[in-house]
Amino acid sequence: MSRYLGWLLVAFMAVFPLWLNDFYLLHILITTGIFIIAAMSLNLLLGYTGQLSLGHVAFFGIGAYTSALVSLGFQVHLLPDFTIGLDPKPVWFAILTAVLIAGLTGYAIGKLSFRVRGAYFVIVSISFAEVVRLVAVNWVELTQGPMALNNIPALRLSLGFFELSFLRKPAFYLLVLGTIVVCYVLIARLVNSRAGRAMIALRENESLATSIGIDVTRYLVLATVVSAAIAGMAGALYAHYIRIVDPDIFLFIYTVTMVIMVVTGGKGTLAGPVVGGALFGFVPEILRGMEIQPEIQWIIYGVLMVLVVYFLPRGIVPAIEDYFSRRKRSPPEESAAAAEPQK
Amino acid sequence: MTKLPGLLATAAILAGTAVAGANAQETIKIGVTQPLTGAFAASGNYVAQGAKIAEDEINKAGGVLGKKIQLLIEDNKSNPTEAVSTVEKLITKDKVPVLIGAWSSTLTLAVMPKLEEYKVPMVVETSSSGKITTSGNPYIFRISPTSAMEAKAFQPLVKKMGLKKASFLYTNNDFGIGSANEYSNMLKANGVAIGSMETMDPKATDFSAQLAKIKASGSDSLFVTTAVEQLTLILKQAKEQQVNVRIISCGGSNSPDQLIEQAGDAANGSFHTTFFPPWFPEVTKNPDVSKRYMDEWKKRGHNVGGLTEGYRGFDGVYVAVAGIKAAGKAEPEAIRAALWGVDVKGVYGDIHFTKQGPAGKESGQNVPVVYLVAIENGKVVKTPF
Amino acid sequence: MDELSQHLLNAIILGGTYALLGIGLTLIFGIMRVVNFTHGELYAFGAYCMYALIMLLHVNFFLALVLAVALGMLLGAAIEMLLLNRLRGADIDTTMLVMIGAWIVMQNTEQYVWSGVALSINSPFPNDPLVLGPLSVSWNRVYVFVVATALIGATYYLVNRTRLGKAMRATFQDRDTAALMGIRIDRIHTATFALGSGLAAAAGALLGPVFVVAPTMGDLAASKAFAIVILGGLGNITGATLGGFILAFVEEIGAGYISSGYRDAMGFLLIILILLMRPTGLFAQRERIG
Repeated sequence: MSRYLGWLLVAFMAVFPLWLNDFYLLHILITTGIFIIAAMSLNLLLGYTGQLSLGHVAFFGIGAYTSALVSLGFQVHLLPDFTIGLDPKPVWFAILTAVLIAGLTGYAIGKLSFRVRGAYFVIVSISFAEVVRLVAVNWVELTQGPMALNNIPALRLSLGFFELSFLRKPAFYLLVLGTIVVCYVLIARLVNSRAGRAMIALRENESLATSIGIDVTRYLVLATVVSAAIAGMAGALYAHYIRIVDPDIFLFIYTVTMVIMVVTGGKGTLAGPVVGGALFGFVPEILRGMEIQPEIQWIIYGVLMVLVVYFLPRGIVPAIEDYFSRRKRSPPEESAAAAEPQK
Repeated sequence: MTKLPGLLATAAILAGTAVAGANAQETIKIGVTQPLTGAFAASGNYVAQGAKIAEDEINKAGGVLGKKIQLLIEDNKSNPTEAVSTVEKLITKDKVPVLIGAWSSTLTLAVMPKLEEYKVPMVVETSSSGKITTSGNPYIFRISPTSAMEAKAFQPLVKKMGLKKASFLYTNNDFGIGSANEYSNMLKANGVAIGSMETMDPKATDFSAQLAKIKASGSDSLFVTTAVEQLTLILKQAKEQQVNVRIISCGGSNSPDQLIEQAGDAANGSFHTTFFPPWFPEVTKNPDVSKRYMDEWKKRGHNVGGLTEGYRGFDGVYVAVAGIKAAGKAEPEAIRAALWGVDVKGVYGDIHFTKQGPAGKESGQNVPVVYLVAIENGKVVKTPF
Repeated sequence: MDELSQHLLNAIILGGTYALLGIGLTLIFGIMRVVNFTHGELYAFGAYCMYALIMLLHVNFFLALVLAVALGMLLGAAIEMLLLNRLRGADIDTTMLVMIGAWIVMQNTEQYVWSGVALSINSPFPNDPLVLGPLSVSWNRVYVFVVATALIGATYYLVNRTRLGKAMRATFQDRDTAALMGIRIDRIHTATFALGSGLAAAAGALLGPVFVVAPTMGDLAASKAFAIVILGGLGNITGATLGGFILAFVEEIGAGYISSGYRDAMGFLLIILILLMRPTGLFAQRERIG
């Protein structure tokens, strides 16, 4: 039943906002959608493998910058008289490159960082993001530093003489929606596979998992690569939608936003980041409409996060699921619910 | 039970009249995007305050085209991506026909593609980078001077001040880099040697490393381009580290009064370029306008140090309104065309736009006056040149 | 040579305050195993207290410092009792998330109350620096160094020679046994958090008048504090002290001779290097890292 509900929701979201033709609403949906993709990727690490990676925005930003630089072209001096450069490439190529580079970075970081765990891992992940940010700020020749990469081209796909331009909002909105669906399905398949079960095992009890022969580092790195690649995709979409990228994209506050989305939505559930992302994408707009100052907005988020952690420690989606399964209350349902460990 | 339809009908009518009443009080909206938080917050807030003074003055005099104006001020957080976001919101949601912004050159450059995409003109009130008016964006109308104009105005003072070797300390964004380039080119053309060119992050607070290098370079003068927060710290730290150079600040966002207040005697002996000298308003082109602005500013209890920046917002609003008036309607395209013909007597001077940039897609540029003042014994004085 | 000496002098002065930040956090991180994201906010809180006390209430400069530290300790105790107490048995992720929430609330409250504009605090010291040959240092910074050293000394004394300190160390070594020996773990946690927060507030109160006070000043301070804690080893006060000075040196030399732009990156690079190569810190004690 819930599967059809999901597809129905997608169909609804594909048609309704376009029918309304309110560009500002589409803008909100697009930015929220991009953040949902990033939140889903973080959920893979945070929710399914249990690693609190607080440097996630680095993958998002690396994806954004890579895509922007490849589509704009660049030239840097590695040595005083040795330059390497790239001519501008088509945007679809840039996006794919971004996903690749982000994934590779995830691989490197995964291999290096998972020598440590717990609080130490958290600190390494934050430091990594900060170093990347400072490189973006200071390596002006490559990234334009605080002056930002401007005039990033929009996505255009041409097959023969049929050209599809994603400059206009409606087209881009559908692109984002499509990407959410694809990523959702991808993550669902991964999580329900053997690899996914291994990840959950190591989340629950790492030493026990190791003792039964699960190669912990391998699965952690796998999770990081997929997670980083998806985050890089989100970043690339962001770059070609907003069409400007500056080093502030790496600020810790964006990681915090993603973490809030995942945690309040429900980490370790598939729908969690979607719900959390939607909630924290729309709440600022509602608050803006109520003429509440941005600082108060953030205070409300912070309080909300603390409250969710206290009262709904597993997040909103699991709480709703618990509520519904308690209402059903019949033994076959209960055992069915118990047999689904990953929900 | 029969009361209910009646109640509902009354409620509906009341609601209807309320909505209609609200519509009758329609205002002409002007979008303003400024850095109210972040690295440039001090200046952005001053500009916003100046803009509000103009808003109230104009509305008291009856508004424009029979309606009152309403400034919608959005905070771009000193960040280019956020600036784009504010412009997007102001144009697509609030449907403003004209904008004022975005303070820093980097922020203005960031929003320019949006202006072209949605075809809405913007009055640029502070940014100084040459790129803004030479990139072929016909929706830009700048009332502030470019760094090139500033450097050119400084030229006659090079000999008078006896500059032999100069170093630069500037923020690594369009504002700082543009200013440092223009000034260093001008100095080189006038036979002055260049010492070290040091950059700083707009959010940095510790300049000991850069100052040590500048001290070692043997320069007699240091040109600093940044906003007032960093300038205060630079003055203090230069004194602490005994970097005995003549400090000259460029860009006009230097609030000498605030420097005196916060840097104390570390500010003595420094020079500052400004485009409006509130200490001697009688030398400005339109002293009556200047006095009006200053009196209202002081009446509102705003920080006196902000006088040197608030006028940018003040003039910006007057120019935007002049455009609306000349256009005859609050439509972006009409306003854009009309701005070419405006002539406003502002604090900046007599404001009108000349064409600048590639033919067919020129931007509008005003040519204001540039002043240099000095700080001596805790007071701002005219330079003895 | 002069330039180098000046850099070294700057580093020594700065190191003192960094050490304060690091010691505060290592106590909290080490004893309570809490990734304290609010540490930076206590730093900012200390600075804002100074601003409010000196500029608005016209309290004496030196008295204001004492008050700011006291207020910082109270705030720390409040945070511990309100938020952390309930999470005593929870996993580290949950605690971290709550701390992040608290950090957001604190920083935005500060921004709301004081607005984003950077504030300046007047100090009673003359602007003319103390000149020692070719080197110069401002009186303000000398004062900061002296006070920081005194506070570090006081903390040492507290932790190593008092009963409270002994209880803290016992809790750190083995919490369960300490509880069995009759130590009130609750009280120790509150006291530790308060102490750590007080030290952070002290660092902020000392540096506020040297630089400027802005709502985001805590973020950079917090990240440096983490770098120092990692350098020195969790819970290791000597390590944190030395770590503070080491970080200051690395920053000054790096900024002076390599690139001033990457100054703040030094701390992070240091963290990453150390965690990857010697996770227990440079001054290792027996530590579980997993």
